[in-house]
Amino acid sequence: MILLENIHKSFGALVVLKGISGRIPRGEVLAIVGPSGSGKSTLLRSINLLETPTSGKVFVDNVCINDKGVDIRKLRTKVGMVFQQFNLFPHMTTLENVIYAPLRVKKIKRKDAETLGKKLLEKVGLKDKAKTYPAHLSGGQKQRAAIARALAMEPEVILFDEPTSSLDPEMVKEVLDVIKSLAHTGITMVIVSHEMGFAREIADRIWFLDEGRLIEDSMSKTFFKAPKTKRAQSFLEKVL
Amino acid sequence: MFLDFERIWPSVPYILQGVQVTLAYTSVSLFLGFFWGTFLALFKVSHTKPLVWVAGFYTSIFRGTPLLLQLMLIYHAIPQLTGYNISIWEAGILTFTLNSGAYVAEHIRGGINAVDKGQMEAALSLGISYPFIMKDIILPQAIRTILPSLVNEAIDLLKESALISVIGGADILWRAQIVASEKYLYFEPLLIAGAAYYVLVMILTIAARILEKKLKTT
Repeated sequence: MILLENIHKSFGALVVLKGISGRIPRGEVLAIVGPSGSGKSTLLRSINLLETPTSGKVFVDNVCINDKGVDIRKLRTKVGMVFQQFNLFPHMTTLENVIYAPLRVKKIKRKDAETLGKKLLEKVGLKDKAKTYPAHLSGGQKQRAAIARALAMEPEVILFDEPTSSLDPEMVKEVLDVIKSLAHTGITMVIVSHEMGFAREIADRIWFLDEGRLIEDSMSKTFFKAPKTKRAQSFLEKVL
Repeated sequence: MFLDFERIWPSVPYILQGVQVTLAYTSVSLFLGFFWGTFLALFKVSHTKPLVWVAGFYTSIFRGTPLLLQLMLIYHAIPQLTGYNISIWEAGILTFTLNSGAYVAEHIRGGINAVDKGQMEAALSLGISYPFIMKDIILPQAIRTILPSLVNEAIDLLKESALISVIGGADILWRAQIVASEKYLYFEPLLIAGAAYYVLVMILTIAARILEKKLKTT
């Protein structure tokens, strides 16, 4: 379970998050939506401390992770992340990308890591790309490899930061299908996305952010049928 | 005026034996300087202010004073200060390593900063520790991008290694001077020494170009 308590974040004079609180139960699929610049990505990145909140508390499994003296690395092995720009390691093959962290952090045997890596690549439909370098993969393949890499650490939570925003339109579906296949398998998923149709289809719960505030926290069905706030109503009218 | 190569012809092999000496100074210092420079670069990009200052001060000293002065200081001052009788070889390697390390550090720092910051974030999000992120993720990519400038550093070092002749290192230039003073002919042996340096530098230059092309295509 993830618990956010009054999260504020500023970059210099720019205030991005203005006191966000919320709760994400274990195994739930949450989509964070809202207009550009509303702080969605910053909020997501606070959950694994790629951004440190200026104030407020982030709890993962009842541990306040932005307390001093907390082992951030240990937390991060439990919280995987998939980036908009994939961020695969270009000097490693697809398989090496996937098994690097289990080898380095969990220190499992190479043979076991390769078995795990191949299984995950099969899961995301990249079985035949194990020895390919990222430069020779399409955008959709890169993102699927990046998902396999995040899964290799067997995280309890996966954060998706606009996972389809830099993809060509015809590659969006293959990535969304992979993400869909992970939903409701016990893993908690937090997705920042502009794909409203996808959010509607996959998410249990929607957080609607506007100007750094969480102004609506609804179950997905309620949100898309009858948003409570005017701001969300007009947003949905524009994007749906 | 005429050139009399015939009289120094028998001494040409003697001068050219200096090629291995020059290459030995260059390659060993470059190798050690690369590791020392990497180390300094890690200081420079660290978030620990004193380390950044130490590395910054170090590079400014070694880049801000003449290499010949550094060589003389190390060769003459170390025996005077410590009583250790430093050899020409040791003084040369130490000076060239410390000096090229300062230049290499700047290149590597630039290379590290040029690596996409998403690489660091992806590695952090997987729970990798900072030393391993540097060693496995950031440095391999940084060094790849700066390989051509490292070859240029090798070229600079190769030419600057001629300074070793000032304290008696038997390199190409030193041997040319010996031949010159034996035969009372200056122009010819120095021309041969110059040609030897030029050929070595050209080989490295061509290697750098090939390397650059290869890096562009892959």
